[in-house]
Amino acid sequence: MSLAAVTASDLRDGEVVFWAEGRWVKRFADAELFNAVEPGQAALDLARAQPTIVVEPYLINLDLEGGVPVPTSYRERVRALGPTIHPEMGKQAEGGLVVQALRAHAGGARSSGRLGLIRLKR
Amino acid sequence: MYRYDAIDRSVIQDRSAEFRDQVERRLSGALTEEHFKPLRLMNGLYLQLHAYMLRVAIPYGALSSDQLRGLARIGRIYDKGYGHFTTRQNLQFNWIRLEQTPDILDALAEVDLHAIQTSGNCIRNTTSDPYAGATAEEVDDPRVWCEAIRQWSTLHPEFSYLPRKFKIAVTAAPQDRTAAKVHDIGLVLRRDRDGQLGFEVMVGGGMGRTPYLGTTIREHLPVQSLLSYLSAILRVYNRHGRRDNIFKARVKILVAALGAGEFARQVEAEWTTMDRVAVDLPDVELARIRGAFSYVRFVDASPVSSSLEAARRADPTLGRFVRNNVKPHKIAGHAIVNISLKTPGEVPGDCSSDQMDAIANLADQYGYGEIRVTHEQNLVLPHVKLDDLAAVHAGLKAAGLACPNVGLASDIIACPGLDYCSLANTRAIPVAQSIAQRFSMPDVAESVGELKIKISGCINACGHHHVGHIGILGVDKKGEEFFQLTLGGSGAEDASLGDVLGPAVAYDQVTPAVDALVQAYLRERRGAERFLDTYRRVGLTPFKAAVYAEAH
Repeated sequence: MSLAAVTASDLRDGEVVFWAEGRWVKRFADAELFNAVEPGQAALDLARAQPTIVVEPYLINLDLEGGVPVPTSYRERVRALGPTIHPEMGKQAEGGLVVQALRAHAGGARSSGRLGLIRLKR
Repeated sequence: MYRYDAIDRSVIQDRSAEFRDQVERRLSGALTEEHFKPLRLMNGLYLQLHAYMLRVAIPYGALSSDQLRGLARIGRIYDKGYGHFTTRQNLQFNWIRLEQTPDILDALAEVDLHAIQTSGNCIRNTTSDPYAGATAEEVDDPRVWCEAIRQWSTLHPEFSYLPRKFKIAVTAAPQDRTAAKVHDIGLVLRRDRDGQLGFEVMVGGGMGRTPYLGTTIREHLPVQSLLSYLSAILRVYNRHGRRDNIFKARVKILVAALGAGEFARQVEAEWTTMDRVAVDLPDVELARIRGAFSYVRFVDASPVSSSLEAARRADPTLGRFVRNNVKPHKIAGHAIVNISLKTPGEVPGDCSSDQMDAIANLADQYGYGEIRVTHEQNLVLPHVKLDDLAAVHAGLKAAGLACPNVGLASDIIACPGLDYCSLANTRAIPVAQSIAQRFSMPDVAESVGELKIKISGCINACGHHHVGHIGILGVDKKGEEFFQLTLGGSGAEDASLGDVLGPAVAYDQVTPAVDALVQAYLRERRGAERFLDTYRRVGLTPFKAAVYAEAH
């Protein structure tokens, strides 16, 4: 497994959140990174056991952009940043190195970054 | 306009209280997300990329000034100070918190608004002509029939769990401003030779991944039979519509599979055997509804306004505004004023809370307190005196809303796209902004004339790309945003679905490609032809040559 992280939406406010050693953080820069299947899956299992905190946690693939991990999928980068048309809105507003890397990375328009994308509808 | 009575109010208040309880149970864990999701969707609450999104119903696109102020207030308190008018005449708030949603529904109920019928597999909010009650073209006021449909369809027990969502449009004018032919049911009011009002009933139109134009199954349905006939159509759909495959569940697929003739036969069979009296609107109720729409007492005004003419001479921007954004009214001395939410550089359909307040104030001062929403994501003041046009223009200008581009190349429909929407493949808004910038010089836009550019960020087609004179569809091509261009679509009375121009182009090639299409049109244009007319006459070839010659 390549580099991965666990993301979800906060149940109460719908904000994008990332798993970080047992808690949820709002900045992708603070997300816990996994480079093996087992710990990533274990984190996802723990995340799924928190249905009153988050909605629909899932693993996302990461690439490196100038040495900085960023989501492979453009959709996930937009989630981690905020609307591209409103740089003052969302998490991108505070700027920083990781935000720059997220903006600089290319490709993965929607579908290629999410692990386990093809799932059976329940 | 129609004012809620005690029954209407109790329905939405009850619904709001019910949702408050459901949210509490979700937050406590008593309801799982799986159980809660359909409940929140029945109240227009989606979970999007950055937050929850609340879609508020604006029945047939008609708002009072108080309602618009109510929306402005919600935008200010619960969102980031703006809202987004959609291609179904609704309004979406993009930055909503689940825990505050019950309070928002209460705030909506205070101004007789709600979020029912904006999501889920029910009969959705009915689309109608934003010029209803104002244009001389119409044979009747379509809002009367939309309101009847609203009362009949809201929380209808038999039609709340359809195979898929169901959209109805009603127009009463020959010029179709509702995109009736790409609705599940399109209703066109007409008078027959004897002067009797009836509906042409079209079924099975739609966009999305399998676009169809509606087929007429009844040329002239007597108006008093509207609700029973709609019931018959929905019963046939409910019985035979596919529930096994979401992509084949819309009524358009059923109509195509059965054939329009067979579908019509089954509808007629259902209709002739059903208890129509129990369903159709009693005359007394119809009269009550009709009365609610005839309250505007237009003041006498001169058909020509000397003050307007003087103001136009003094201010060329007013002249341009009147030329492009102002349309004739049925009452002498009045006009219909379109407010563009497409100022180049802005987000199509977005309106700040301050702007909503400014429009509400103008509506109160100069427009009998009425506002309409168009499916092209603009607003309308339907009744303005010619003598007041200069003042309205000045008020709009002060609010940054006087862009004179209605119907022109920069008046672009765009879905929220990947900037907000969890279904999108690509962005749509920045594509629209770039094209609008290219045609931002008013002289350039006016020299090109009517040009409807419509952009969708995925195949679901919320941006109506299939019916754009130039349609733009975002696709994910090997992980990059690419855009497929279609030409020759129309959502108006001359409805047609666009033809694919050729291979999709990259994000940064869309505006140059649209520019090349426009240049090709200007070369080929004869006389007063619109872009659409020229395309229909000459076909794809010169446009294809222009775009792909430029691209390579």
